[in-house]
Amino acid sequence: MTTQQIVPPAQIESELLRIWDSLDQTRQMRASLFNLIVFNELSTRTDYIRNIVQKIIDTFPCRVLFVSHDPDPSKHYLKTAVSVIASKGTGSNVCDDIDIGVAGSEWERVPYVILPHLLPDLPVYLLWAEDPSHTHPLFQPLAKLSTRIIFDSESADHLTSFAQTLLNLKEQKGQDIADLNWARLEGWRDLLASTFDSKERIKDLNEIDELTITYNGRETEFFCHLKIQAMYLLALVSSRLGWSFQTFEKKKNHFHFSFDQSIRAKIESSFIQELPPGSILSMKISTKGQSHYHFAINPQQPHQATVNITMHDRCELPYRFILRKSLMGQSLVREIFLKGTSSFFVETLHQLQILDRETIC
Amino acid sequence: MNPLDEPGRASRTTDPCVLVIFGATGDLTGRKLVPAIYQLGREGLLPSNFACVGFARRPKTDEQFRDELKEDISTYSRTKPIDETFWQSFKEQIFYHRSDFDDDKGYQDLAHKLMQIDSRLGTRGNRIFYLSVPPKYFPQIIEKLHKFNLIYKVGADEERWSRVIIEKPFGHDLASSADLQEDIEKYLHESQTYRIDHYLGKETVQNLLVFRFANSIFESIWNNKYIDHVQITVAEEIGIGTRGAFFEEEGILRDVVQNHMMQLVSLVAMEPPVNLGATAVRDEKVKVLQSIRPFVQNDFDQHIIRGQYGSGYINGESVIGYQQEANVNPNSTIETYVAMRLFIDNWRWASVPFYLRAGKRLPKRATEIAITFKDAPGFLFNNQGRKIDPNVLAIRIQPNEGIALKINCKIPGPSSPIQPVKMDFRYGSYFGQSPPEAYERLIWDSMLGDNTLFARSDEVASSWKILTPVLEYWAANRPAFPNYSAGTWGPTEADRMIANNGRIWRIL
Repeated sequence: MTTQQIVPPAQIESELLRIWDSLDQTRQMRASLFNLIVFNELSTRTDYIRNIVQKIIDTFPCRVLFVSHDPDPSKHYLKTAVSVIASKGTGSNVCDDIDIGVAGSEWERVPYVILPHLLPDLPVYLLWAEDPSHTHPLFQPLAKLSTRIIFDSESADHLTSFAQTLLNLKEQKGQDIADLNWARLEGWRDLLASTFDSKERIKDLNEIDELTITYNGRETEFFCHLKIQAMYLLALVSSRLGWSFQTFEKKKNHFHFSFDQSIRAKIESSFIQELPPGSILSMKISTKGQSHYHFAINPQQPHQATVNITMHDRCELPYRFILRKSLMGQSLVREIFLKGTSSFFVETLHQLQILDRETIC
Repeated sequence: MNPLDEPGRASRTTDPCVLVIFGATGDLTGRKLVPAIYQLGREGLLPSNFACVGFARRPKTDEQFRDELKEDISTYSRTKPIDETFWQSFKEQIFYHRSDFDDDKGYQDLAHKLMQIDSRLGTRGNRIFYLSVPPKYFPQIIEKLHKFNLIYKVGADEERWSRVIIEKPFGHDLASSADLQEDIEKYLHESQTYRIDHYLGKETVQNLLVFRFANSIFESIWNNKYIDHVQITVAEEIGIGTRGAFFEEEGILRDVVQNHMMQLVSLVAMEPPVNLGATAVRDEKVKVLQSIRPFVQNDFDQHIIRGQYGSGYINGESVIGYQQEANVNPNSTIETYVAMRLFIDNWRWASVPFYLRAGKRLPKRATEIAITFKDAPGFLFNNQGRKIDPNVLAIRIQPNEGIALKINCKIPGPSSPIQPVKMDFRYGSYFGQSPPEAYERLIWDSMLGDNTLFARSDEVASSWKILTPVLEYWAANRPAFPNYSAGTWGPTEADRMIANNGRIWRIL
C-alpha cells in the first residue's frame, strides 16, 4: 500500500509512525492480531512466500517481519525497510511490514533487530520457508521467540529428515509445529472424515484392501516436490487405520506400497493444468467387501470433489463435497489459528518416516 | 483556608518562593529541572513572585547562567521552540550564586542574596532547596543551611516556610540510609523533607491510584483470588554512557530497584487509603513494603538473579559490554540486570508472586506493570489439552503511556479457534498531548507543600531493609560476568527462575 522506506533499524518504529500519521485522513485502521516472522532464502520463491503472506493479511491483519537471507557468500549487509500493507479483504485494515534483508555474517544481528519490534501480548508465529533439516544459525534464535512454527515441506530436500526434524521439535522441545502441505490437505481430511461417518462406512474403512491416490504432476518454478501431499494423505490414512508397512516398489511413475493384511496402496500422478501442483486429484478405495469409493476433484471447480460410492449390493447417487478454504493461504491461516499441534499431524509424521524410507520425496 | 479557592475546582495556588538548586551546573539541572520549571512558568503554574537561584562551584555570571539554561531549555524542553516572549521575562527571575558546598561565606552570601530577591521580587522568605548533588554533600549542605538560618524550624514562623528536596540515592544500604536520616533530621522535620523519586511524578504512576480506586471493576478482582502473578519491568536499551563511575558505586539494584521499582510495587499492592492526603497514602504504601517477605538463604541463588551485559547489538548496531565502558573496572562485578521474585505476606496478596526485572542494554526501553490473571476455570475452550492464554492487564509507564487488556476472543467463522486480542488505551491518542514531565509535577507539589508523591523516611528504610541482605550476599559471592548479551532480555538464569514456577517473562 505504501512503498518501502529504507531506514536504519533504530528508526523502524518512528518511520512507521510517520507513515501512519501521513495516512491519518484515509480511514485506514492499523490492525494486528499476531506477529508473523517470515524467514526465507532470497530466491525466485521469495515472491511466492510474499504471496502467502498477503493471503494471510487478507484474512487476518498482523505485524509482518519478513527476513530475506541472501545466500551469496560475497555479500555482507543488513538492510531494513518499512511499509504498510493493506488487506485486500476488508480494505480498511492495514498492517505494518518490516523487511529485513541480510547477507553474510550480518545474520547475527537479525534477532536483535526483530526483538524490539514484536508486539507484546500477541502470539508470534514463525513461517520458516526453508528446509528445517538444514542447520541454519537463525533458526534457533527465531524459534525461541515463536509461539508456533509453520514450515513448508515443499522446501524440504527429503521428507523423512523433514519429518524427523519436526518431530524432534515437537517431542523434545515442546514446540508447536505445522506444515503448509498438511494445511493444504485440510479439505481432503474433512472429506474422508465426513464420508466414513457411519457404522457401515467405518466397517468398510477397516476392510480396505486397495487405495490409490492421484496427485497433480504439474511442476512449476515453486513446486517440484509434487508427491508430498499424496504421501501425507497415505501416511494419515495408514497411521489412523493402524496399517503396518511391509514393502515399497517403484514402477515407472507409480509408487506401490504394501501393508499387513494384504493391503495395497498406490500413488500415481496425472497432469491438470488448471489445478495447483502437487494437489490431490483423486482417491480410490476398494474394500474386501466389494465396496468402492471414488473421490475426484472437478478441474472446473477445484474446490469441489465428486463422491461416487458403490456397495456390493447398491450404488449410491453421486454427490459433491465442498473442500473448505482450499485456496492458497486460506488453509494456512486456519492452521495458524488452530492452536496446538494436531495429534493426527504428529502421527502422520511418524508414519511418513516409515513410508518414505526410499526417500521418494 | 482561602475563601476564594473552591476545593476541587480552582487550581491549587502556590505561595511566592525562591527555588535554590544546589549542583546547578550539573546534568540533571540542565536536562530536567530547568526545563520543568520553564514549563511550569509557561503554563502559569509558578507563583508570580518566584525566583530560581543556581548554586554551584564554577564561577559564572547571572547572564552566562541564563544563556546556558536557555540552551538547555531549547534542547530538552518537551515543547519546542522556546517561547521567546515568556523567556525574556522569566530569565529576569533566574540568578547564579558561586560557592563551594562547605564554605560558610558562600551560605552567608546566599542568605543575603535571597533577602535581596525577597525584597525585589516579593518572594516573602519562602525557600525550596533542591539538592541535586552527590549524596555525600547532603548532611553538609543541610547543616550549613540550618547554621545560616535558611531552614526554618517547623511551627516557629507561620509566615514563612522552607523545604528541602533530596535527590536519590538516599543511602547506600540500610545502615548508611539510617545514618543519613539521623544527620538530616537534626535540622529538618520530616514534613520539610522531600525525597524525590521521579517515577512517582509520572502521569501513569499517578494514574495507578485512579485506575485502581476509581474503577470498581478492577479493584474487586485485585487480589490473590483472581491474580496469578505480577510482573514489573524497567528496561532500558541504553548502556551506562558517561555514568560509569557512578554506576560502579551503585549497580541497578540501588539505582532502580530500591527506589523506583519498590515504589511501583507499593502502589500496585497497597490497600485503599482513607483519603488522598500524603499521610494516608504513604501509610498504606509503607505497609506493603513492611509486608514483603524477607529473603532467605535459598532465595539469593534461586529467586534473585543478577546479570551484567556483554557486547551485543542494539537496534542492529554493535555495542560494547559493560566492562569495556568508560570509567568502569574491566573486571567489574557490578550488576546491570536484576530479576527477583517477591511475596507480599498479607491477606490480599498471599501466595501471589511479584516478579521484578530491571536491566540496561535490553532490547527496548519499556517500563511496565503487568497483572496476569488466573486461568478461567473449566476446560470449555481448551484446545487439544492446551490452555488458553490468561488475561493480562498491562500498565505501560513509559513510553507509549497507557493501559492494555489482553482478552481471548473467538475468531469469526463456524469453527471456534480462540485468539488473544488487546484492548489498548493510549494517553497520547486519547488526550492528544504529551504528558507533563515527572519533575514538573514534583517541583510544583513541593511548592504547594504536598509531599504525597515523595518518599517518606520509613518507606526508604523499609525498602533498604528488604534489599540490604541481597547486597551483602552479592558482596560475599563473586559472579561470573558478563552473563547476557546486550540486546537480549537478560541472562538465561532469569528465564529459568521464572520458568521453574511455570511462568515466562513477557516479551515487551
